[in-house]
Amino acid sequence: MRKELEAKLIARLRDDVVCVEKTDERTIYIDVKRAGFREATQIITAAGARYLCSIGYDNINRDGTLAMVHTFALDDSDQFVCCRASAPVDDPVLESITPDLPSAGWSEREVTDLLGLRFAGHPKPKKLVLADDWPEGIYPLRKDVPHDFVPQGAEDVAYQLDEAPPGTKIVPVGPFHPSLHEPEHFAVYVDGETIKGCDYRGFMTHRGIEKLCQTQVSYNEVPFIAERICGICGSVHATAFSQAVESAAGLVIPRRAEFIRTMMLEIERIHSNLLWLGVAGHLIGFDTVFMQAWRVREQIMWLCERLTGNRKTYGMILVGGVRRDITPDIAQDILDVVKKIEDELMVIYRAIEKDTSIHKRTKGVGTITKQQAIDWNLIGPVARARGVDIDARRDHPYAAYDEMKFEVPVLDGCDVWSTLVVRVVETFEAIKIIRQCLDKMPGGEIFVEMKDKIPAQRHAITVVEAPRGESVHYVITGEDNRPERWRVRAPTFTNLQAVPLMLLDEQFGDFPIIMGSIDPCFSCTDRVAVVDLQTGKSSSITKAELDAMSRKHLGSMQK
Amino acid sequence: MSQQPDILIGSIQVIGNLVLFLALAPFFDGVVRRVMARVQSRQGPPLAQSYYDVLKLLGKENIDSSGILPFRLAPLIAFASILCVIAILPVAGHATALTPYADAISLIYLLTLGGVAVLLGAFASKNIYALIGASREMTTMIMVEPILFMVLLLGVLKTGSLDLTAVIYGTPLAQFGWPGAVMIVVSLFGLQAFVARQPFDMAEAEQELLGGPFIEYSGPNYALFKYYMMLKQMFYAYLPIAMFVPLVSSGFFLLDLLVQILLTGLVFLLIGLLSATHPRYRIDQAIKYFAALFVIALAAISAAVIF
Repeated sequence: MRKELEAKLIARLRDDVVCVEKTDERTIYIDVKRAGFREATQIITAAGARYLCSIGYDNINRDGTLAMVHTFALDDSDQFVCCRASAPVDDPVLESITPDLPSAGWSEREVTDLLGLRFAGHPKPKKLVLADDWPEGIYPLRKDVPHDFVPQGAEDVAYQLDEAPPGTKIVPVGPFHPSLHEPEHFAVYVDGETIKGCDYRGFMTHRGIEKLCQTQVSYNEVPFIAERICGICGSVHATAFSQAVESAAGLVIPRRAEFIRTMMLEIERIHSNLLWLGVAGHLIGFDTVFMQAWRVREQIMWLCERLTGNRKTYGMILVGGVRRDITPDIAQDILDVVKKIEDELMVIYRAIEKDTSIHKRTKGVGTITKQQAIDWNLIGPVARARGVDIDARRDHPYAAYDEMKFEVPVLDGCDVWSTLVVRVVETFEAIKIIRQCLDKMPGGEIFVEMKDKIPAQRHAITVVEAPRGESVHYVITGEDNRPERWRVRAPTFTNLQAVPLMLLDEQFGDFPIIMGSIDPCFSCTDRVAVVDLQTGKSSSITKAELDAMSRKHLGSMQK
Repeated sequence: MSQQPDILIGSIQVIGNLVLFLALAPFFDGVVRRVMARVQSRQGPPLAQSYYDVLKLLGKENIDSSGILPFRLAPLIAFASILCVIAILPVAGHATALTPYADAISLIYLLTLGGVAVLLGAFASKNIYALIGASREMTTMIMVEPILFMVLLLGVLKTGSLDLTAVIYGTPLAQFGWPGAVMIVVSLFGLQAFVARQPFDMAEAEQELLGGPFIEYSGPNYALFKYYMMLKQMFYAYLPIAMFVPLVSSGFFLLDLLVQILLTGLVFLLIGLLSATHPRYRIDQAIKYFAALFVIALAAISAAVIF
């Protein structure tokens, strides 16, 4: 693949190609000059690559440039292609690729905001990440800006929403709205009950986790911060970061650790899919599905508490392995809980499957064609419900997935109902994978020490299939035992960009479920920590009392 | 015309009706909440929770967001209209002192007035969510009021009078036949729409409209609206019982009343079960549903005229 790509690039771009190299089995790096950047990405996409995301980084101290990487995945041959170019800091302009790849729009706007690298020909060069009163000319991701820098806010600035189509009213949804679990703002343009368009202003919860990890902490602490990027797919981010660092450092971790990582990811997938099923039920006003799904999910939480000491933020994954081993007792415990969940979920699924009133609210809602899904690079269950057959676990095996046998459900209903079915089926698949993990788990160590320093200036990219789609982590290793640049591309970052398309010409009453169908995780997108506040003092109410207050069949729930 | 009731007894009846409904409506609302919680494997709130809610709201601040009179009047009009409905309602077959001054038509007027008051408050609050909620509420009202009217019309046709006592309590005795049976089904199918619960709570749809028409209300004003909703719910749950279930006629008024109230409680169980097992319909789906009910009701009325 590398040779073919190189031949194509040199034939088209000639002198603009600097070099094409392969760093490991999976990753091809292409360095091009500024002039041939967009054309190079066109050649790569023509070769069948799928766009992932773009990463900008600051090279000012080395050679006075700002650099940009566009990353692509070749799903058939399990390879990643990263195309790099740079622009001098006094003329920081690159050609935009958004006209070719609409889902690159946000990545480029983010780089413009955070690094000051501008893109010629971008269709919507508005602010995306930074607050509206952030002063001009200060770019927070540059090395010369300290991580705790607080600028003077500007006066009298406000975000300019897009022009509303004629004859429509603007319904503001957010920043606080019951159908959104986190703050972000949609301006929905409605004509009566029909949605004619919408504009999004999010990133209100941006706390600069990437900047923090590039300036303050060491490699060993980042996985724990990564886990707090998102309240739901914590292990995903921790695993992705650890794998990126391991691949940059050439560290091989023990097989048993890989199995345990796989198992944790699948436990998380069960948890996340059940959570989403409940939320979806809630969003169409069917609270019974919500309550029942969360009742089933609660057992996974208790299991994780027995397994790791935490209900959700497991803290299991480190660079070099995992922290806790799976003993035979706990393995049996996992099997029991998983069996119970399988039975109970089957009951819920059967009830949902035949419920015509749920079909009414979900079938034919949020429709997007397969071609549009491919154009917008949708990922995860949202894409699989629209007939796009991608799954990072199968296409780019990591951890122990190369030994697992599982189906990837693909439906072509193109609507919210298909998404729901895909996610429920995936939960059953996750249960299968957990059983295989426990079956095939080899013995041995679960952690390996890093003996040497990790060399600086190595680039690494990993994808991990989160319950919502694939998370992409891109790490550039640095000095001082910390990454120089770490970029997290959460699944929502991609899927959210296609939501206006899904909303077009739908009923306003369907807004919550269409929005919810991509399982939006704005914290992942904004990259912040979600903090659940402890309610009251731990001594004021015991778990048993709380259960007695809230649960009807206490005995049947607990082991 | 029904017998002019004795003034003293009739006045006691008015007070009794109001006390009965005001005291029991929040309790029945609590029953619905508890039933829903049980279906959802939850413990549920205490049965008296709705009383606590109203009391708590009464102690809160009244925020007048729009500062115009209709906004402040709307809750009072809504609450007053439903109180009038209850005052003229012949409970357990006994006319009150006010019943002779009203008939089936004025009952529907008063019920519609409550709905109009909700719309008034919503439009006065100038909130986009309230406007969307109000437009949905209006659509629902336009579609559902005729169904209610036809339920009463069947009674009018069968008994040959517009008098409330005759219409409501005469129907079971007047051999309502199969059109009446169809009407029972229609009124039960329309029940969720009358009481604005799932699957027909589009107007309040808290997931997209945050409570729709009531979004700007708070404190005592909102408490009045809440109470209005509960009373309306109890009235609509009581109506099919009164219309289609013959009185026990034991000769003891209190016993008759008790049986009717217990049966009303059963209707509330049904409301709770239905709302716990349905998602909310979209307004366009709801319109189709109401239209089908409307046609069926119309057919039943025509049949009642012919046969």
